[in-house]
Amino acid sequence: METNRLEIARLYHRFGFGPRPGEFKAALANGLSATKTALLSVPAVDSGAAQVAEPNITNLGTRPDQKTSALIEFNIALRQQVKDLPLWWLDRMALSDHALTERMTWFWHGHWATAIGKINHAYPIYVQNQTLRKYALGNFGEMTSAMINDGALQFWLDGGENTAKSPNENLARELMELFVLGVNRYTETDVRELSRALTGYQIERPSGKVTFNAKRYDSNIKTILGSSTTFNGISAAAHLVAQKDSAKFISERFWFRFISSQIELPSENSLEKSFETRDISKLVVALADSQILSNPSYSIVKPPVEWFIGVARYLKLTPSALKTPGQLLSYLDKLAQVPFNPPNVGGWPTDESWLSSASAQSRIQFAAWLIKQADLTALAAIAPNKRIAWLQDELGVLSFSTRTRLALNGVKGTPAQLLQLAICSPEYVVSA
Amino acid sequence: MDTLSRRKFLQLSGAAAVGAAAPLLTMEDIAHAAQARPLPLGTPILIMVTLYGGNDGLNTVVPFTDPLYFSMRPDISYAPEKVLKLDEQLGLNPAMTGIKSLWDQKKVAIVRGVGYPKPDRSHFTSMAIWQSGAPVSRLNSGWLGRWVESQAVDPMLAISLGSVLPPLLAGEKRSGSALPLGGLVIPTGTFAKDCQKLAQAVSTDNKLMAAAATSMRTLFSVSNTVTPVLKMPAPVADDLPTVNGGNAGGDSNLAQQLDVVAKLIAAGSPTRVWSVSLGGFDTHANEANAQAELLGTVSAALSRFTSQMKNTSRGKDIVMMVYSEFGRRVKGNASQGTDHGTAGPVFLIGDRVKGGFYGDQPSLSNLVNGDLSVTTDFRDIYAAVLEDVLKTPAEKVLTGWKSKGQYF
Repeated sequence: METNRLEIARLYHRFGFGPRPGEFKAALANGLSATKTALLSVPAVDSGAAQVAEPNITNLGTRPDQKTSALIEFNIALRQQVKDLPLWWLDRMALSDHALTERMTWFWHGHWATAIGKINHAYPIYVQNQTLRKYALGNFGEMTSAMINDGALQFWLDGGENTAKSPNENLARELMELFVLGVNRYTETDVRELSRALTGYQIERPSGKVTFNAKRYDSNIKTILGSSTTFNGISAAAHLVAQKDSAKFISERFWFRFISSQIELPSENSLEKSFETRDISKLVVALADSQILSNPSYSIVKPPVEWFIGVARYLKLTPSALKTPGQLLSYLDKLAQVPFNPPNVGGWPTDESWLSSASAQSRIQFAAWLIKQADLTALAAIAPNKRIAWLQDELGVLSFSTRTRLALNGVKGTPAQLLQLAICSPEYVVSA
Repeated sequence: MDTLSRRKFLQLSGAAAVGAAAPLLTMEDIAHAAQARPLPLGTPILIMVTLYGGNDGLNTVVPFTDPLYFSMRPDISYAPEKVLKLDEQLGLNPAMTGIKSLWDQKKVAIVRGVGYPKPDRSHFTSMAIWQSGAPVSRLNSGWLGRWVESQAVDPMLAISLGSVLPPLLAGEKRSGSALPLGGLVIPTGTFAKDCQKLAQAVSTDNKLMAAAATSMRTLFSVSNTVTPVLKMPAPVADDLPTVNGGNAGGDSNLAQQLDVVAKLIAAGSPTRVWSVSLGGFDTHANEANAQAELLGTVSAALSRFTSQMKNTSRGKDIVMMVYSEFGRRVKGNASQGTDHGTAGPVFLIGDRVKGGFYGDQPSLSNLVNGDLSVTTDFRDIYAAVLEDVLKTPAEKVLTGWKSKGQYF
């Protein structure tokens, strides 16, 4: 096996969405160090991403009254936006020349998991996605501060209902548990005190605009994690981000989503220190450390969106141009992962959750549907007895097992079936 | 990495055990089994109903004579004349008429104040604790997943409706199966044979690749027995009013899940545990309507299912257990809702159940940090379900837990 094949395969599948045709073979020739530098350095201009037009997602205003024709128009426009939004993002993931920015934005969407269903307007979710992209590789403190002022997140977690007179703990609890510190790193009193600090926000739902109403704000002293002062939402968030536990927690979450959800982050690790300044790009570099990448025990199952984008990038498919885009969203729904629709505020599950018999079935059908719309001339031009080895490199697979080789061998004369089995094989569904 | 060191690593870490432990089943084996060995009549069947989001127990089983209930929840309490009275102190949420009728037939056990030591108010941690059944040792496997592992291998033994398997049915080495609504459509002909080759376990598989292969194997074995059954009509509930030839009672995702379960049970599926669920119980705001609608859905779906099954030879064998990850804070918040709390009621429903109240009703005057105190450990219920419904010693599955309730 070539030197660093595992490390390079992992760089492509985990810090991107998998290789485009020919990329993996070229990367093996370039070596690990050059490949890592190339995949982790975001270029100033991305012409692939630039060709994806911004979606026509606008503030549709307040929902019109029942039984008026304006309501019908409103509903049609909203339905269109709710469909256009994920397609636009999937296009960006598939068509960006440099995948890291979208890959990180996707991670943060699962981290600050907000679902469009409760918001019931596309515009605030679109704004949130732009915020997450802006800070995807930036400063975590600035990101958290921006998220406190994010209308979609505030509405999703009842921030507008949290007032001095009677606090609603939803946002405060999730901020500590799921977004910044991690479970059991605070007391129930801290949650209650933080919810007082987060009072005063109001959200205008159609626009997602967050305003501050001093009359609803609790201006008294709060004690959060041992510090007492007149915290407000922004200063309390900064206080949480400054905790050592915050570096620990974000390191753990990166580890969980990019490296392994089976094996915990070792207590001796370089991640927490790399995140001292809360610079996300430094944490990404620490995570792509060669010692981590070369450890064979850190395999991970590709969640459905990552699996699909990997296939789309390899087959040069544009998600929104598939026939039909509605069918695409329906396949993703069957696999239980549609962008902007996480199952709950904890984000999507991992690993074995994606390996039910039901998802195996949907994946086989989905694969056939995608391959039918792709140009397989390059694969067909390879001699049948060389196709399996060729696909292993094209798809960036570490090594097809004897089982999979046997299965592929049976269909090697038929490019469509060969590819279908290859992308449904355990070695492609799981990043080794 | 060379393959030799990789294999050695996998052997040392035990990660290759999935492939090694699960013998390969052929389609013929399973198809034959479903016809030749349908679940013996009289075998108890467990249906787990999970309510995700934290169902508000105090507005499910309402202490309608307690003045503290009204003073602490001025905006979201139910007046005594509205509740469905169960005794002199407690009444069901007005939306739960179906379950009230089953209660009147002595088929409902309500276990009060159920929880676990050191309650956690995180949805995820608390649900993980409930589903693992291990509040102290925090195992990664589910309590029914460990039960699956205590039984002979059969992909149809425990089935969850929907495409994502809940941790409840996940074992260390073997798990229950997942079944999407609408059934399974799989490749046919020679291509199916090539697909099935991907299901073979090999020694080079790591744990996750072995799980991927297993999912393919289970797909082919389950679908062959399940698909024909799903095409049959659901059993008819002839004691419910019908609308346009169908049973009244509304259509919801929970009802759809239970429809599939009803068909498969009626057909003799050798399945002893089913898992269905309904989400949306996280009522931080505007709780009254939202929760009543959800409880109405649960109540209607379960009573409709009971009526459907009554006409089959399996009706007497079914036990349903309804639970949620926690109850909610006693005091309402300013948004006509409630925040995360602790203990809540668990419902056991079926002919085998000795109807009535179990466990003490948590006191509203003796709260712990504003929350109800736990009066029954959920492991008492799990132990009873394991031993009295699934006929399996509970202690090992529940990592040494020894006490159990007497609900059956």
